[in-house]
Amino acid sequence: MTPAATVTADRARDARLARRLLFPALAAITVIVGVPLAWMLWESLHLHDLRMPWLGRPFIGLENYREAIHDPRFVVAVMHTLFFVAVSVTLELAGGLALALTMHRVPYVVSGFSRTLLRVLILLPWAIPTAASALIWRFLFDGQAGVVNEILVGLHVIAGPRVWLVDPTLAWIPIIAADVWKTTPFVALLLLAGLQSIDQSLYDAARIDGAGPWREFTEITLPLLTPAIVVTLAFRALDAFRVFDLIYVLTGGGPGTATESVSLYTFSALLQKLRFGYASALSMIVFAGTLGLGVIYIRLSNRHLLTRG
Amino acid sequence: MREILLRITFCTYGRRSSVIRAGLVILAVFVQLACTRQQGANVLSFAGSAVGREGQILRRQIDAFEAAHPEIRVEIRSVPDAADQQHQLYVQWLNARASEPDVLQIDVITTPEFAAAGWLLPLDRFNPPTTEFLPAAIDANRWRHTLYAMPWFVDVGMLYWRSDLLDAAPATFDEMAAAVSRAQREHGLPFGFVWTGARYEGLVTVFLEYLHGFGGQFLGPSGRVTVDSEAGVRALTALSDSIYRDRTSPPDVLAWQEEQTRFAFQSGRAVVMRNWPYAYPLLADPASSRVAGKFAIGLMPHVAGAAAVATLGGQQLAINVHTRHPDEAYALIEHLTSSGQMLERVRLAGEYPARTALYDRPEFSDMGAPPDQIRRIIEHAVPRPVTPVYAELSELLQVQLHRALTRQEEPASALHEAARAMNALLARAGLLSS
Repeated sequence: MTPAATVTADRARDARLARRLLFPALAAITVIVGVPLAWMLWESLHLHDLRMPWLGRPFIGLENYREAIHDPRFVVAVMHTLFFVAVSVTLELAGGLALALTMHRVPYVVSGFSRTLLRVLILLPWAIPTAASALIWRFLFDGQAGVVNEILVGLHVIAGPRVWLVDPTLAWIPIIAADVWKTTPFVALLLLAGLQSIDQSLYDAARIDGAGPWREFTEITLPLLTPAIVVTLAFRALDAFRVFDLIYVLTGGGPGTATESVSLYTFSALLQKLRFGYASALSMIVFAGTLGLGVIYIRLSNRHLLTRG
Repeated sequence: MREILLRITFCTYGRRSSVIRAGLVILAVFVQLACTRQQGANVLSFAGSAVGREGQILRRQIDAFEAAHPEIRVEIRSVPDAADQQHQLYVQWLNARASEPDVLQIDVITTPEFAAAGWLLPLDRFNPPTTEFLPAAIDANRWRHTLYAMPWFVDVGMLYWRSDLLDAAPATFDEMAAAVSRAQREHGLPFGFVWTGARYEGLVTVFLEYLHGFGGQFLGPSGRVTVDSEAGVRALTALSDSIYRDRTSPPDVLAWQEEQTRFAFQSGRAVVMRNWPYAYPLLADPASSRVAGKFAIGLMPHVAGAAAVATLGGQQLAINVHTRHPDEAYALIEHLTSSGQMLERVRLAGEYPARTALYDRPEFSDMGAPPDQIRRIIEHAVPRPVTPVYAELSELLQVQLHRALTRQEEPASALHEAARAMNALLARAGLLSS
């Protein structure tokens, strides 16, 4: 056997082994993700309404999808969700970056224990279950006994108490504030990891060359942090797109449907109205949307990593 | 057997290999499961509200049942009090064809929905004494001429009014607006009329009383939704006016459910309140209420030429169609809906019985509210539309009512949109007669 042939045979054996090693993971994903997904797709092509068994469960093709895109409430819910994602993720990214930079600087100032304590404290809001923290925010923004009204009236920012949660515009403030409060620490943690992977010698070199802190930030920190930012953005955007518990507890999607998100509407179609077929179609649309977003993100971050080397 | 296995498991700690230990733990778990299964032979599972005082009363009633039927044991499975959360939990269990819980406590609006889904056992074969119950409550539990649940206790919407601030219960909407406004001003109270205006079922129950009070109907003769009639628009405008024109209702009511409403009234900050009977004993308790002895109940107002109504609510008892113990399950329902047990509930929880004859019993006069007043309100009770799609009808209406009340929409266009969507739903379901 020639050496070349041996290499080829080795490669083939490795490939076979790789396939065998991949198999359990693939099988698990198929069972956990693939089967329910296929089932949901099947449901979405049928009329299936638990309240109306006399209608049967006939195949209706894309009828559920057609209804969804002509359903103003669904379309508005998508808009609400996109608005929520854009505003809250932007604020979280800005806040998280500021927090991460602060935490990154702290090691030079304080000792090991206080550093750990500080990080735990910063992460605390993220560790509280969303439903519980949403309740706290509801009390804060309560129209009668809320602290927020008291403070703002005391500071003469507003003339009289507002009923935040039943105002179609103002209701977004507690929702976004609660999300930013809760998730900024998580963003900060991801970005901190990114910051710590930047080679310190680059900063030393910059300082020797006479670069100021702003120059260091824009020329070294930001470009080298971009991969971490892209990953964080992907995580947060996809997560924020599924927002449910926060709005469910704070406003229930109201007043009217002024703060209803896609997940909330899908939930009501599925568990309150028992329209399994239609709710599956809504879920498939959301799934396709998030999948598309995910693919775009991966493409973008790959290209980015390639061009940066 | 279970204990022995567990003991072996713990004794072997550090001596045998971890594989044997793990195996023994798994075996113990299986033995445990098998034992539970065996006990299941004559154990009934009852799903209902069992928190706090409600739970104590239920336990007491079930103890009495177990004493009378020593061969049956009843396990209480506590479910959330909030109607929609309870509904979600039941949907998950029943849709999965679980044989437990055997007996379910369900809200009156749920019966036709679960009956149509084929999840409830028809009760006619047990020959329940339906004629002894409030007819409106029995009608609400029938779907396509079959009875699927028995009324347990009834709820009716009513007006609580401050007897120290008003001379009489306001009879008409105009009278109420004027009297409440005057009393609020004269006594410097922060609120006049408090009601449940959050976007949930409670809002629909209040609207229904206004709608009927203005002479409207939820459903027309052919089964079509007619909430966008002139009466409907006047009803919704009146509710909206109480917030924005008369300013007797704070905008906060648009986020309030029963409890926030009760707190506002109980703390003496409001003149009148729309709520359910459960509030009565709490308001009458001088230890926690500032209005004890200073309030009375009456019917909701109406306009001249229309009748006042009280939205019928209440809890029903139904049997899971997949139960393994239908006869035992019905025996439990029979016990809980017996005259004696219903009077017990009146006495302990102030919940109104579903049996009409009980309102004449002397025991009934022991509870706070004068029986003749309660009787008068109960006689005006109207059920919400009895249809399997009620939950969605109500949701469509809630959204539009709330949009109008938060001034995102005019009452007329909001109701028109609600009626359009609801009629489209009824048509899709094949529930419109023409």
